[in-house]
Amino acid sequence: MMNGSSLPKEIVNGLTDALTLGDKEAAVRITQQALDLGIKPLTLVQEVIVPTLTEVGTRFENLDIFLPELMAAGEAGNACTALIEQAIVKSGNLMQSEGTVVIGTAKGDIHDIGKNIVISLLKAHGYKVVDLGKDVPAARFIDEAETNHADFIAVSALMSITRAGCREVADLLRDRGLKEKYLYIVGGGSITQEYSDEIGANGFSETGSGAVELVKTLIASKRGA
Amino acid sequence: MYANDRLVEVFQRSRSGQYMKEVEYDLLLARRTQELVKEYNITFDPQNVCPADDSMADRVFQAGLQLFVDIGAYHLDTQRVIKFSRDEILDALRHAPDTLYLGEGRDMVIARHRNIEDPTPPLNLTGPAGQPCSEEHYLELMISYAQEPYVHAIESGATLTYNGMDIMANTLMEVKAVQRDAATAREAIRRVGKPGMHIGDAATGMTAVGKMAASEPVNLLRPCDGRLVAQMCEMKVNDDQLIRVPHLLNYGSHIINLMTPLTGGVGGGPTGVAVVSVAETLMGVVCYFATYHYLSITHIKWTNNSDPWGMYVLAMAGQAMARNSHIVWTNDPFCVNGAGTVENLYEVAGHAIIGAVCGYQEHGVGSTGGNIVDHHTGLEAGWQGEVGLAATRSGITREKANEIALKLLPLYKDTFNNPKLGQPFHELYNTLTITPKQEWQDCYRHAKETLTKLGLTFISGPYD
Repeated sequence: MMNGSSLPKEIVNGLTDALTLGDKEAAVRITQQALDLGIKPLTLVQEVIVPTLTEVGTRFENLDIFLPELMAAGEAGNACTALIEQAIVKSGNLMQSEGTVVIGTAKGDIHDIGKNIVISLLKAHGYKVVDLGKDVPAARFIDEAETNHADFIAVSALMSITRAGCREVADLLRDRGLKEKYLYIVGGGSITQEYSDEIGANGFSETGSGAVELVKTLIASKRGA
Repeated sequence: MYANDRLVEVFQRSRSGQYMKEVEYDLLLARRTQELVKEYNITFDPQNVCPADDSMADRVFQAGLQLFVDIGAYHLDTQRVIKFSRDEILDALRHAPDTLYLGEGRDMVIARHRNIEDPTPPLNLTGPAGQPCSEEHYLELMISYAQEPYVHAIESGATLTYNGMDIMANTLMEVKAVQRDAATAREAIRRVGKPGMHIGDAATGMTAVGKMAASEPVNLLRPCDGRLVAQMCEMKVNDDQLIRVPHLLNYGSHIINLMTPLTGGVGGGPTGVAVVSVAETLMGVVCYFATYHYLSITHIKWTNNSDPWGMYVLAMAGQAMARNSHIVWTNDPFCVNGAGTVENLYEVAGHAIIGAVCGYQEHGVGSTGGNIVDHHTGLEAGWQGEVGLAATRSGITREKANEIALKLLPLYKDTFNNPKLGQPFHELYNTLTITPKQEWQDCYRHAKETLTKLGLTFISGPYD
């Protein structure tokens, strides 16, 4: 059995390189090797996968790399995480995450690049993300949040005439008596802080990295409350 | 080759093409684009944002054509890939129009294909360009565009509310808002004595229902006007966009292929996005039957195209299409700074000059990255037309355009991360006389003085 604090150098370097390069096959192969060596799955997540994907996210925010590299790293990370989840389930434990975010674009809005960037960054920071995709009706956000025991509902709207979908979610949360149960955050090109305040959302961010910070702050506040 | 009805063929292939998950398509596009950039030796030098390189322009075209042949268009609803052969694409390109009649009567303008360093000045087909607008000042705002002497067509903005209520896509509220805004655009051109001016779009409409609701030949949009059919980044279509095509063809209206390729996005850096821009233009020709095209390059972080990447993509994609096709297309400057700032006018000017020498008609302007309500006015839109005309009349070459653009860049590049948002329309204009206030006119004169020193010869302007 390996000690979690002293992972073999070749595993750390190999997995870091594979994730950074978005080499899904190599990332999965090395993850499997690590698990076969008896490395604790969560150690692998916390000491290699999360820091590597965080670094990739930072490099994207700084425009050192482009969206395809971020996406490829995210896909490789997803594949590793899926493998690790299987290992954890086999061991009879539960996968720990920083929190669960149900996310999608507002009803009528099919622009999802911003949402996808936020998803990549949230995953990189250890959050479980349930991606509902594009053009999502208000009721579905809430139903999926209930099903997945989510902490957050996140809605993105790029276009001015789709931002009304954000208000619909806020109204439905209120009307169903769930406003206090979930942290509701909004973003996208058509959303402003004023609009977020007006509809009663818990937070708004203009950027992907800002969204991660917002989620961290809100969940810390909620758990500390 | 496709059957005699290409549109039906587009539909059939959207139902029978290869199934692929969206993320797989994105990664395929990213990978193939980078391979083609290397294969065709397409290079970017930040000191040469407007290369005078015919050979590279041709290679960008060939790479873009090959990209479209290789990966096709992605249909978001069916998750299938719509592919066309090289012969089919080139055949559609040959049949695309090279001359357009925009508007009607005395106010009609003729938009022709433009070549590199074309001596014919570009038209300026402008307006709020889909930016968010309040309903309170919408008529006055539209008049501010239509009245400008160097404006030849207007396109409506996207209003946020209808009688103070949110407008929701694909509901009766969208239809009511679109009909109101199309009527307002027509009223604006009537008020300024240009009742036949071309109206490029009813941008409040985001869905097919909304766009089609503007088709009404007396009070709303006429066949001599146009409507946008958009691509989703990158090279993606859906049924909602395609539905518009047979409607607009039957109505006899102009079809405008809207592309918003992301620099730093799936296409990668500037070289890749230049290739993707060509592929998207060809896709608009084949799938949308576009009569003309808006190339609205968008930086993934700042949502502008006044940075070196945006200028390079504009220059290379423009030259590629100018040399290898006869289509009509437009640039679309998007700035980080807002109306009321001289930096906004510098951003517009750099883009307009490169556009004018690289084969475009002019379209735009987007201010504050298209984000802030009403932070745009007719002045900067008219300025774009004036600069485009001056660039042509001054015999600006690609080399000179590059020199001017690089001299303008330091005057605004520090604002990319901290934009100057300026002021809203109703604070920059006297809304009764619809005249820019002194401070906004001062910015115009200051920018004009700078551009004159850099080598542009202006004739006369509205705020000299």
